[in-house]
Amino acid sequence: MNPAREAPAPRTNNPAGSRMNPLENFRMAFESLWGNKLRSFLALLGIVIGVFAVTAMISLGQMATAGITQDLEAIAGRSIFVQPNFGEGHDFNTAPIRDVDIRALQALPARVIPQLFTNIQYESRPGVRRSMQLQGTPGDLPRLDPTIRVASGRYFTESEARGGLAVVVLSDRAAADLFPGRQAIGQVVRFFYPGGARIELTVVGVLEPPGGIFGGLGAASTAYAPTQLVWNTSPDARRGQYDFVILSLKPEADARQVTQQVRRIFEARYGEGRYQIQSTETFQQTLQSITLILQALLGAIAGLSLLVGGIGIMNIMLVSVTERTREIGLRKALGATSGQVRQQFLIEAVVLTLMGGILGVVLAAGLLLLVTATVPFFQIFILNPATILLALAVSALVGLFFGVWPAARAAALDPIEALRYE
Amino acid sequence: MTPVVQMSGVTKVYRSGSSVRTVEVHALSGIDLTVQQAEYVALMGPSGSGKSTLMHIIGLLDTPTEGEYNLGGQPVRGLNEGQLARIRNQRVGFVFQAFFLLPRLTALHNVALPLVYRGVSTPERLKRARQALESVNLGDRLDHLPSELSGGQKQRVALARALVQEPDLLLADEPTGNLDSKSSDEIMGLFDALHRQGKTILMVTHDPDLGARAQRIVRLRDGRVVDGGMA
Repeated sequence: MNPAREAPAPRTNNPAGSRMNPLENFRMAFESLWGNKLRSFLALLGIVIGVFAVTAMISLGQMATAGITQDLEAIAGRSIFVQPNFGEGHDFNTAPIRDVDIRALQALPARVIPQLFTNIQYESRPGVRRSMQLQGTPGDLPRLDPTIRVASGRYFTESEARGGLAVVVLSDRAAADLFPGRQAIGQVVRFFYPGGARIELTVVGVLEPPGGIFGGLGAASTAYAPTQLVWNTSPDARRGQYDFVILSLKPEADARQVTQQVRRIFEARYGEGRYQIQSTETFQQTLQSITLILQALLGAIAGLSLLVGGIGIMNIMLVSVTERTREIGLRKALGATSGQVRQQFLIEAVVLTLMGGILGVVLAAGLLLLVTATVPFFQIFILNPATILLALAVSALVGLFFGVWPAARAAALDPIEALRYE
Repeated sequence: MTPVVQMSGVTKVYRSGSSVRTVEVHALSGIDLTVQQAEYVALMGPSGSGKSTLMHIIGLLDTPTEGEYNLGGQPVRGLNEGQLARIRNQRVGFVFQAFFLLPRLTALHNVALPLVYRGVSTPERLKRARQALESVNLGDRLDHLPSELSGGQKQRVALARALVQEPDLLLADEPTGNLDSKSSDEIMGLFDALHRQGKTILMVTHDPDLGARAQRIVRLRDGRVVDGGMA
């Protein structure tokens, strides 16, 4: 007789007790899912679509925001824009921006570019006059405002500006309007003020057209001349007064803080509400909150598809539990506890949805790459690790949530009944 | 020496029906049964005699309504479901009439299955499963799926799966019920050999020829032991 049979004390087969290795359940899950490849794939399709939608939505939103920010910086830079408030019955001339204001602004970490504008006319054909905007600016504007770029010729210099010389730089549109199909530089343009006064200016440069989706906003037909010249010649411009001022922020400046400082300067001098002070940053924030709302809406729809996918998973797991009743009975007869059976089915559901999640993320990454390669507006490919992590965590949670009930049913099966099941 | 199975006054009552009118079915009444170590016992009786219920209680798949049951000296009363599962895994090896092999697992992995729930490492598990399959002369069918095996081979895989547990008690329920006579002889020959090696075997059968191969026959009728309850 086997002497080991003499002492039926607890066995020492496994020093760690009779706990199974949790990895076993993952192996079993893969075996079982692999054994039903087509069904597993169809079951996780809903999750794939849901995760794909969520991931693509979040990333496209981030890419759109990045694209908007980039375009906005291309046309406006990081800047603050100050102009008199036209609303609330204020007349334009009652609240001009004065030299003293400009001097106060110059203490801030920004390049101050005071400007004025006026309407002007030109003869497109003999006897036919058309309108254009004449803008008075300091000299060497591209150095002050990085969004202004000269395409050909040059911008007038600071000394030309100070002297009020009769020179002009044309926007891309203005050059096309004034000299259709001809070289503008070196030509003389003749402008008429509304009162009838006439000026003749020599074209020294043409600007680049603004780029990006906001390009249209900046594509006005504008002629840029020295501020001094406009003061000297325009009937309604007053020396020492400006219509608006742009503060082009230095890289280290904090837009919000400088905006506050500008606001304080003007409010201290003229009271509240007489000047409009806007920064490109606030514009960006508005745009960002719009994209965020869109993202949330589309994300909710994507979440709905995840819900539907989860119900699909639950359905397939319930079918699987019924189908494998005898397997469950056998496992219990061989010593599986209810907890181990529950764990097995729960892990199977989680593995299923997690695979769906991985597939969804891969598909989303493919779409984003395609979009980046083909749509000019989306130039930067963004797929945050946080987004991937979120997508995978959500898919695992869906599996966990919708796997609980089927797993509980499997665990609750009576082994005797389960082994009798046909 | 501690008996493997020691039962006294085991009763199993199934209650069914509504709260107003309850029907009680006495599947087992006052069973006294002892199986000593290294014994080969056949449990016989007509259908409805309580054979299956008794086997389920012996195999810890079910618990008695009343009475005492010690398995290998371990009292079963008051154990929870998890504890019963663990003792089942350690002490009881089942062989079923319908084999119950998992169709997608190879013979080797089917045999290794009980050891999964014991936390045995994979290489060790497969080593022991291979040895168990060799002991039932299936060393050349390790990587076959159940669908690729004959009925007799399937039952030998199932037997190996029970043996790999090194159980105190080998519990066989009509192990030849689904087999032809040649495969049947083969399986019974294996049980004879296991008996010679000192294994404790309890076989549920209605076939007198199979019962005759055991050392002792316990006869059940209407939920009572009518013959052979004590060694």
